[in-house]
Amino acid sequence: MIKFDRFKLANGLTVIFHKDQTTPLAVVNTLYDVGARDEKEDKTGFAHLFEHLMFGGSIHIPDFDAPLQHAGGESNAFTSNDITNYYDVLPASNIETALWLESDRMLSLAFTPKSLEVQRNVVIEEFKQRYLNQPYGDVWLELRPLAYKTHPYKWATIGKEVEHIEQATMEDVKSFFRTHYNPSNAILCIAGNFELEEVKSLVEKWFGDIPAGKKPVRMLPAEPSQEEYRQKTIERQVPADAFYYAFKMPERKDPGYYVADLISDALGRDKSSRLYVTLKKEKQLVSEIGAYITGSLDHGLLIISGKLNDGVTFEELDSALWEELNAFKANTLEESEIARLLTKIRTAKAFQDQGLLNRAMNLCIFELLGDAEGVNEEDLIYEAIKPEHMQHLAQSILNQTNCSVLNVKAIQS
Amino acid sequence: MIQPNDTTKHTSTSLDRTLQPEINQIGKIDFIKPRVFDISGQTKLYFTPDVPNETARIDLYFHAGSIHGNVGVASFVNGLILSGTATKSSTEINTAINDLGGYYESGLSNENAVITIHALRENLVAILEILSDALTHVAFHEKEVTELLADRKQKFKVNLEKVSFLAQRSFQQHLFNDQLYGRVVQESDFDAIDISMLKKFHQAHYLKGLQKVVVIGNLPQQEIDQILDITGKWTGDLNPVFAKDLSNLKGVNHQVKAGALQSAIRVGRILFNKTHADYADFLVLNTILGDYFGSRLMSNIREDKGYTYGIGSMVAELHETGYFVIGTEVGTDVRENTLKEIQFELKNLQNTLVDREELELVKNYMLGQLLKSADGPYNMTDLYMGLEPYGLSMDFYNRCIESIQQISPERIQALAQKYLNWEDMTVVSAG
Repeated sequence: MIKFDRFKLANGLTVIFHKDQTTPLAVVNTLYDVGARDEKEDKTGFAHLFEHLMFGGSIHIPDFDAPLQHAGGESNAFTSNDITNYYDVLPASNIETALWLESDRMLSLAFTPKSLEVQRNVVIEEFKQRYLNQPYGDVWLELRPLAYKTHPYKWATIGKEVEHIEQATMEDVKSFFRTHYNPSNAILCIAGNFELEEVKSLVEKWFGDIPAGKKPVRMLPAEPSQEEYRQKTIERQVPADAFYYAFKMPERKDPGYYVADLISDALGRDKSSRLYVTLKKEKQLVSEIGAYITGSLDHGLLIISGKLNDGVTFEELDSALWEELNAFKANTLEESEIARLLTKIRTAKAFQDQGLLNRAMNLCIFELLGDAEGVNEEDLIYEAIKPEHMQHLAQSILNQTNCSVLNVKAIQS
Repeated sequence: MIQPNDTTKHTSTSLDRTLQPEINQIGKIDFIKPRVFDISGQTKLYFTPDVPNETARIDLYFHAGSIHGNVGVASFVNGLILSGTATKSSTEINTAINDLGGYYESGLSNENAVITIHALRENLVAILEILSDALTHVAFHEKEVTELLADRKQKFKVNLEKVSFLAQRSFQQHLFNDQLYGRVVQESDFDAIDISMLKKFHQAHYLKGLQKVVVIGNLPQQEIDQILDITGKWTGDLNPVFAKDLSNLKGVNHQVKAGALQSAIRVGRILFNKTHADYADFLVLNTILGDYFGSRLMSNIREDKGYTYGIGSMVAELHETGYFVIGTEVGTDVRENTLKEIQFELKNLQNTLVDREELELVKNYMLGQLLKSADGPYNMTDLYMGLEPYGLSMDFYNRCIESIQQISPERIQALAQKYLNWEDMTVVSAG
């Protein structure tokens, strides 16, 4: 049970306070309701590039990191297709430094040309390091546009192509900030050993006078329902053939989201899962196989991916995989199989909830979904899933016409 | 919705946003050591019961590191622990552990192997019993061995496509410059493995190779007694000799990888571990150079030049020695420039005193990070386990706090002059 208090400033900033008396540390987590899905198709990679610029100094403070380090803390951030999340971890006695820094960069950035130029280069190197210069690194750059035809999930957070990042201008940057970085588009969580009144007065002191701005209205093109089987093969200089099966699944707020998560666990979470046991241990078709969900807020993907053993063809894998998926759809799961999946989820959650930072981030994400209290309801939602729910959802999503397959064919250099 | 009261409103209108709020210094950290139990002879169990939730963890350390046995054998045996016994298949074993919500991991370093289970405390001992049966009676079925070797060979080939892997591998060879510590697996080694080698290794290094056990979780004493019983049968008189006097091959070595967009770089040297008098002070120098986001290397090579997504340095420890390493991946066209800049930063620390402001920042940062490393039972236990191989007590960290607080720019310069000479470094790159 994660306890919290919640209040809102006059400028629209939502604040969550989570008290933890056992730690000498504090976390300040700031979630902005903006991700790669909010980008224009000809300026992708922007939410993420912008995240880098948020460390390049703000209107009154030339350097973000140094004062925080001086206070014994550190900071980082991540961008997804849905959100941008910034966090500071520091000794609780120095929390005000984090509030000072976070509020100033919410107020306005410094927007120096040098920062833009350098971060463009850094992000391009990140693009190379994580997507272009790794075996199988570009798979998501290929799979997303195969699975999505209109929704902006069709590009990756890093961007569609390096050129979009190279072409980012200062005017783009400023306009992005004005649109998305304001109090009404943010959720702040403060976690640590404080009193509520103390938190209220500190937050009011530092964030209270930031102009409200306008919460942008999100109008994303909906992805039309997929009605055909999609398959693409790319050739790469990699040592082994790899496959990625992507199935559209319910959005984050739909109860079916949790059911899909459990289906992915049953199929490929660990060495007891269906696909691992049949396709790897029994039929020896693959060297590795797993299933997981992308965790997206809009309609996401359930992915089954793995690598073929030498001498096995994509066709052999494909027919064995569908045989398993059809068996999964034809029969309800045993209660014991679901019980195993739930025990693993409960255990993983107990470990995740240990971390102060994790609790703060999760509170913000659930608040974004509608109510931070949701963080305490997840276990119950999973526990309520019955075999027939899983079978029913499996029957509706694990179909050829809801499936996009990317095969990576290994070729010799 | 809460209306702000007048007092705070008044404060906010007179806010000077250019001034950092007052900083409080970290004074003291209460370091708590685990309880220690004898398993047998030299082999101990370390137990931290003060966990305020239902989680628990056990680590089993074995003298089964990669310096032992023929090349590759340690790694393959490590990967086969749950591969099945005469009566149970690997799937049955994994499923029994998963039924109880257990997360099994195994890892390998030069000097030891570790098996870790994360679980809810109510299930920890039951999972350990399943593991105990599996580990004690591994049958090394031919099908399982063949499968693991094929999987590992495929992974190995994938890794050969990564410049970071190539550079790390070359660094290990040149840094340790030693028949055991510096050896790396080659593709042909996968074919030279036979089952009897694996069995022999398992017999010597697991069944009689237990080094220590760590338990974290709110477990009753009775369960600790059960764990002592279960693990007691794996102790023996194995007393491995760890390398003491390693010396790195100096000079520059580049491995070409056609088509690479980035080059991976490693620069480093043999150094020391926590037992050395200069260790704590060197950590301050290392932090300034490359161990935080505002470090000299990050500021210059990422934040000024934009050559890389990240660059960092660290001190790594072995039983009897240790080493220092700088690592990064940069655009292939700026590899030479990056090496020049790294060299410049080392020289600069040797030639110019660190200014007070930067040093003050690094001191505060390090103390804050130490507070973080000691936060909660898991971190606190890991902190202690970082001392255990060297027979040091928790007082070591109090001494570290003092060293950090007292160190002078002159001392840092002297350490840079002593330990950061470019001529003493092993420099490798791939890409």
